[in-house]
Amino acid sequence: MRILVVEDEHDLASAVAKGLRREGYAVDVSYDGDDALGKVMVNSYDLVCLDVNLPKLNGRALARRLRSGDIATPEGASPRILMLTALDEPEDRVAGLDDGADDYLAKPFDFSELTARIRALLRRDAGRSGVVLQSGTLKLDTRRHSATRCDAALRLSPKEFALLHYFMSRPDEVLSQEELLEHVWDENADPFTKTVRVTVMTLRRKLQRDGLPQPIETVVGSGYRLLGAA
Amino acid sequence: MRSVRFRITILYSTVLFVLAAVLVAALYLALLSTLRHEPSFTRLTDFAADFNGDGESQPNERLLITDLRGFERAANENTVENMREYALGALGVLFLVSLGVGWVISGRVLSPIGRITDVADHIQATDLSRRIELQGPHDELKRLADTFDGMLARLDAAFQVQSRFISDASHELRNPLAVIRTNVDVVLSDPNATPDDWRQTGLVVRRATDRMSRLVDDLFALARLESPNMRNDRLDLSALASEVAGDFEAVAGGKDVTISKDLGVPLPVAGDGDALKRALANLLDNAVKFAPTGSPVTVSAGRMDGWAWVALRDHGEGISAEDQIRIFDRFWRKDRSRSRSSGGSGLGLSIVRGIAELHSGFVRVSSRPGRGAVFVLWLPMLDEPADEHPPDWMPGVSGAGPARQVPA
Repeated sequence: MRILVVEDEHDLASAVAKGLRREGYAVDVSYDGDDALGKVMVNSYDLVCLDVNLPKLNGRALARRLRSGDIATPEGASPRILMLTALDEPEDRVAGLDDGADDYLAKPFDFSELTARIRALLRRDAGRSGVVLQSGTLKLDTRRHSATRCDAALRLSPKEFALLHYFMSRPDEVLSQEELLEHVWDENADPFTKTVRVTVMTLRRKLQRDGLPQPIETVVGSGYRLLGAA
Repeated sequence: MRSVRFRITILYSTVLFVLAAVLVAALYLALLSTLRHEPSFTRLTDFAADFNGDGESQPNERLLITDLRGFERAANENTVENMREYALGALGVLFLVSLGVGWVISGRVLSPIGRITDVADHIQATDLSRRIELQGPHDELKRLADTFDGMLARLDAAFQVQSRFISDASHELRNPLAVIRTNVDVVLSDPNATPDDWRQTGLVVRRATDRMSRLVDDLFALARLESPNMRNDRLDLSALASEVAGDFEAVAGGKDVTISKDLGVPLPVAGDGDALKRALANLLDNAVKFAPTGSPVTVSAGRMDGWAWVALRDHGEGISAEDQIRIFDRFWRKDRSRSRSSGGSGLGLSIVRGIAELHSGFVRVSSRPGRGAVFVLWLPMLDEPADEHPPDWMPGVSGAGPARQVPA
């Protein structure tokens, strides 16, 4: 899951990015509205954390432009928008939600509340309602950051966890290397390395159980697929 | 029943009753005395007591006259008696009618007061939008209601300014609070946080608290402007400017900015030394902040037409015409990120404006993008007659664009 944090307070943006990266998200940071707009047009984000009072282009205008559909995003993606702002009057909330935000959180906020809201918003895309994702013998607890196969704990790195999370929110879909790179890695990842292949390989090795089929299969020439029944 | 309406009605009816009673009593007594002292038959006695025409008045004829006199007196007494009864009855009716009429009229006259009271009763401090809007003739009560409406409008405006200010201030305080909260949350929730992570968080928290302290200082400075205990000392504006320029030499030197002084003669003004120093310091702080490295900042002072001035000139990037209108607004910043990194609260120039206004003075700015900016503080000179406004002149500026004055 890839998140864009748009916040002009550098000290706040870096803390949010750091915390979210630790949760396994791929995080990019923008310090003003124009830069954020550029990033949204180039990268496909699952969610945008948006401050309202931004230099150059303010958050509400950015939300309106994202929702108006006249911005060409990669794959026509429409990221979830979580407004994060110091404006906390009911009319500010109403205006923000009407401009296209999916959720609204007032500063200062509890970081665990922020991550819970992000999880809730991302679940909406996956069409699931629980914090625990299940697919065959695989279970993934998005809140505790733990994953199990046949009730045996899996020891996953944050990147492997994020990759499995993305697979499990799209079971039985063929996911290309590019798409995985877009959604699980941030803009610092080098698109020409074998990082996706290597991470998928180590993940598959960790998922392997004797007597059970491998849940992630390679679709030759297209990418990878998580078998929902495995 | 202690209402004004009741008292007016009773007073009005009583006065009317007493006046009517006095009138009726006077008429009655006058009539009575007239009838007693001058019966109609007195003249008749003198020339008409000779009914049979024999030239003499016979005893029986006098007797007849006497009877006629008796009859007349009885008739008169009867009439006067009737009149007294009717008058008393009429007085009673008059009193009752006047009570009713007085009650109705005083009710109509006093009804605007009831409306004023109702509106005043319903107005709460949070909702001052209601008005009396009294209709009708332009009389004393309408003027009272209009005065009341005017006062409400001024209160409403003041409250709105106040609440806007409080919401802006809380918004400004929330950002550093969010920085602290999030940084602390993130490092606390990380079981693998290293001492270096903690140190970084500590530094961020200190930056944020520094910013909050500056903001709180500025908020206090603004609040103090509204308190009545400003001093009114005899001061030398030129010496104050020199003192403030000296305080800033270290800061400016750190940026390789030189402060050049051209202060000249003493400029006696009346005011609060600390407040005026703060105003000059805020202006000089901006000038040094926006001056490019290696450039000079000029502090000059002088007098003209009964006004003393201090001018602060930098050679920074200048201020566009539309921004010049807004720079004195509270919490206004051109570029929030840049101002934050340089530590501004967005209140500096509004404090300068407040201090200038308190001293019956003005701040003016003149600037063109790319050509630097000049801020001038004008104060009326002590013991000298001055015009209401300082002269329309910017010290040491040629072709810097029209000056914008605050208050306008």
